[in-house]
Amino acid sequence: MMELTICGRGGQGGVTLAKIIASAYFLKGKYVQAFGLYAAERSGAPLQAFVRVDDEEITNHNQIQHPDHIVVLDRTLIVPGMDAILKPGGTIIVNLPKDRNDDLKHFSGRTVSIIDATTIAVANGLGTRTVPIVNTTMAGSIAKVLNLTLADMLAALEYLNFTTPNKICVTEAFEQVQTHHVEGDIHKPTVSVDPIKVADIFDEDLGGMPKIKTGSWATEKPERRQLTPPCNQICPAGNDVRGFVEAVGKQDFNLALSVLLETSPLPAVCGRVCPGPCMESCNRSEFDEPVNVREIERSAAELGTRPEPTRSWREAAIAVVGSGPAGLSAAYQLARLGYAVTMYEADEELGGVLRTGIPAYRLPPKILDEEIDYILRHDVSVRVGCQLQRKDILRLSQDYQAVFVATGLQTVSELDLGDKGSPAPMQGLQFLEVVRTGGMRLDGQRVIVIGGGNTAMDAARSALRIGADTVRVVYRRTRSEMPAIDEEIEQALEEGIILDELVSPVRLSESGKHHLLSCQRMVLGPADASGRPRPMEDISPDAHFDLSCDLVILALGQSHDVSILPEGAVIKEGEALLGLSGAPFYVGGDFATDEGTVSAAIGCGVRAAKHIHRALSGEDLFPPPAEPVATSDVIKFNRFEPQARESVNTLNPATRQCSFEEVHLGFQAGPNGAGAVTEALRCFSCGVCNQCDRCLEYCPEGILRQDCEDGGYVFDLEYCKGCGVCMTACPRAAIYMTGL
Amino acid sequence: MSRTLATGNHVAGHALALAGEANRNSRGCCAGAYPITPQTEIIEYLSGFSFTKGRVVLVESEHSAMGVCMGAALAGARTFTASSSNGLAYMTENVFAAGYYRLPTVMIAVNRTLGPPWNIWVDQGDSLIMRDAAWLQFYCGSHQDLQDTVLLAFRVAEDHRVMLPVIVAMDGFVTSHTQMVVDLPEQDQVDEFLPPCVIPHGLKHDHPATFGGLTWPSETEHHRYEIQQSMEAVIPVLEQARDEFEDIFGRRPAGALETFETDDAETIVIACNTMARTLHNVVIERRKKGEKIGMIRTKLFRPFPRKELLAAIGTAKRVAVLDRNHSPGSGGIFWLEIAATLRQCPDVLLQDYLVGLGGGDVTPENINAIIDDLNHRTTASDPEWKDTTA
Repeated sequence: MMELTICGRGGQGGVTLAKIIASAYFLKGKYVQAFGLYAAERSGAPLQAFVRVDDEEITNHNQIQHPDHIVVLDRTLIVPGMDAILKPGGTIIVNLPKDRNDDLKHFSGRTVSIIDATTIAVANGLGTRTVPIVNTTMAGSIAKVLNLTLADMLAALEYLNFTTPNKICVTEAFEQVQTHHVEGDIHKPTVSVDPIKVADIFDEDLGGMPKIKTGSWATEKPERRQLTPPCNQICPAGNDVRGFVEAVGKQDFNLALSVLLETSPLPAVCGRVCPGPCMESCNRSEFDEPVNVREIERSAAELGTRPEPTRSWREAAIAVVGSGPAGLSAAYQLARLGYAVTMYEADEELGGVLRTGIPAYRLPPKILDEEIDYILRHDVSVRVGCQLQRKDILRLSQDYQAVFVATGLQTVSELDLGDKGSPAPMQGLQFLEVVRTGGMRLDGQRVIVIGGGNTAMDAARSALRIGADTVRVVYRRTRSEMPAIDEEIEQALEEGIILDELVSPVRLSESGKHHLLSCQRMVLGPADASGRPRPMEDISPDAHFDLSCDLVILALGQSHDVSILPEGAVIKEGEALLGLSGAPFYVGGDFATDEGTVSAAIGCGVRAAKHIHRALSGEDLFPPPAEPVATSDVIKFNRFEPQARESVNTLNPATRQCSFEEVHLGFQAGPNGAGAVTEALRCFSCGVCNQCDRCLEYCPEGILRQDCEDGGYVFDLEYCKGCGVCMTACPRAAIYMTGL
Repeated sequence: MSRTLATGNHVAGHALALAGEANRNSRGCCAGAYPITPQTEIIEYLSGFSFTKGRVVLVESEHSAMGVCMGAALAGARTFTASSSNGLAYMTENVFAAGYYRLPTVMIAVNRTLGPPWNIWVDQGDSLIMRDAAWLQFYCGSHQDLQDTVLLAFRVAEDHRVMLPVIVAMDGFVTSHTQMVVDLPEQDQVDEFLPPCVIPHGLKHDHPATFGGLTWPSETEHHRYEIQQSMEAVIPVLEQARDEFEDIFGRRPAGALETFETDDAETIVIACNTMARTLHNVVIERRKKGEKIGMIRTKLFRPFPRKELLAAIGTAKRVAVLDRNHSPGSGGIFWLEIAATLRQCPDVLLQDYLVGLGGGDVTPENINAIIDDLNHRTTASDPEWKDTTA
């Protein structure tokens, strides 16, 4: 009986090789037996296969203990002493690259046949360079060693329906195999060695890592990547939202604040008044509720310590006209870049619309003052009470090396509500300014506010606070189309504001001591250019009605006053206006765009600072194009547990009706920001590794380790088999597999 | 007849397919099937076979696989399936139902260790769960024995004197995944050997009936007694089937037992499946040295062939049983049956050896060590555990 043992790896075709050899003998009329030693297999794991050949029926069914031949499909499977199991005179057939003859020292005193099967198999397109399938090539060399003819082995391949490249490999190997007698004495085994068990494959000194470098079995490799979280992508201010939320999650409020201060000098303001597009885009909203980023930002501003401001060191001086959020942002960024900045403001106090357009119960002046103070400590000087005209602006462009104009929206929209002599409605912004300076009471009066934006809400709620008996908000569409922050609408309703949806004011007239607002009911029609449904007149007979009131406030939005710029100037953010003197001259904020939020204005200021810096210094601080966005479909929701938002405190509605105290009071859980930390830990960290260790825990090979430098992970590709478990385990798509 | 190189799974799948096809002029065939290692290739083979009249119904579990077989058998089809290990354990409730319904389904059990701990290799504990399920049980040695026994199984199961289902067991991997030389029959030979399947108590549209309704104790007792009577009819029916098999196929498959050198043996070793074939070589070697030793391969386990076993043991003084199965708290399950059979032979020293559990590789050296142990004994002890890795 001839007995042969094949040592290979899962995927190399060892069991099939046993079948090929058995078939060659079967076709010559012999009795044969071919079997593999099956285990919990995966690609690349060591395996054995066996062949018995005899002239009589084979009845032994045990594994082969002492073969006549050992076939080694992969030189990494060579284990010193593995030849000890051979019968006396037994031989070895090994797949060995041409430059690896030193491996033969393990077979001293033996007859060894060598074939570079990998090269032949790869050349004939069998498998890939990393996972060549060498079984048929080895069959060719085995035929030669076992004194079969080439025709015998080709007949076996024909019998088993192998393709032509396999037959070519058999032929090449049959011709190329070389048999040597290795000098020296046969190793006397000290312990019996079973090639499959490869007892010392794991090296204790390497922490149990296998000695065999298994990276060559891989067809793919993992790589770390960073996608753009949707919150970062959408934040108009350009904040690293995910970054500061992560820092809060680690209870590092100083770090969180410094992340915010990179892009925005107004985190305490935004933490109160930002509509929070980041929360609308938050992937968590598809899972349970979006992360309450605004409230976390407020906590970071409150609990973090601001770094010491820097002083200017550059020669160039820059003028910023207007001290709203865009102007403040630009001044702050330019000051941090080392420029001496002078701000010009028409009012007596800085802040622009932040001060005049947002009531104190939403943004206490103290909070605004603190943030402005921090900006001014960066070598920013101020000229207040400077209402600049066109000629002044032109002079600035002579006196400064660059000018940024962000004077906001100074022209309010009017509404024709009747003939001359009708009672005049009051403008919302004007009303808010009068209220702010304490010059008005509305005790017992009935107030109607026309509009659906934040100014309308602010005017309505302010009217209530200065004594109004009833306050109605009249809006042409429905609540869901209102541009105001939904939370503000909700709080207004809580406070007792009446919302008249689908109502359009037509005419305002006197009626004795009171005013009469004639109204028309509306219905929603098809979408207009803004994408919102167009309000259309209700044609039913009772669609007209009158509302009696004492004061009507108009809050229909504003537009910019371009009279300060040279005639014909095209207002476009980021483009230096020509026709002025040599100084770069930029416009921004609501003056240049119609985005209308504080965060958009901040972002505009940041960009203006970068434009100016590039024009003056040649240095480009604009970031490279962002990575793709980590959309919800790449986040593995099943890796997370549902967790409700942290509760926040608000002033009770009864107190609010007669007080300008701040309504929002921050997270309930405290002290020391415990609520903010818990809420921050709800963040999925979409597309960005946050060292959750899941890949480390799931890697079946233990080939990941944490990098000391950046805290991320390093893959040991010497051992990585490319299984992709890390990619599957990563909840946030921060690992992907790429071809080798 | 064609000689070929095939795995045990291929052989079993081929035999099932030819048997199913042989019923094409009657009510056809049906297999309810669910894959599990190491039996999966049988299901794959059957799924790839083009039946003239019949089909493989892939289901969501082994329990349903046997349900499909029962329903199809009641409708008159020739039915068959295959399973292993925990899959077989999950099927168990319906395995008993098929037995007590007396439906002549043939099931290939590719023996695999029951988990946990998880183990894919051979151990007979899975099919031996069905010891009391009113099924016949055959345990096969060579690939040829497997091929022939599958055909015999249909013939015996569907015989109206028997009308009981049959398990045909083989060793997981050692048989199921090993390529060996085997003679596969032709369809016309199988057609000749297997008459159309007729289920006398099956569903008939002109004779509506309810199956499995409530019975009183005396009726149930009678049902069990009838099954016992049918079990006792198995060996004569099997002998008749072997005769006809030999006429058609030109070789005589093993019957209830296979004996070797037992006539004058003082020592007899009893084993099963492929372990018995390795034992066969050991007996040849020891006989060459003058030892009066013989062996028995137990092939039929249900009904247990007591009479045939007693005759084979004859005057032997020492008997060893090699059990690749274990009933915790007792011992080897074949040993229990053999001990009950030898109750009237108090002079025989009967020793049980638990060997190759969980798929341990049983080598000639292991078997020689067991025989040496047996030969030095003066009394029998509790079942001995023999570690094959030692």
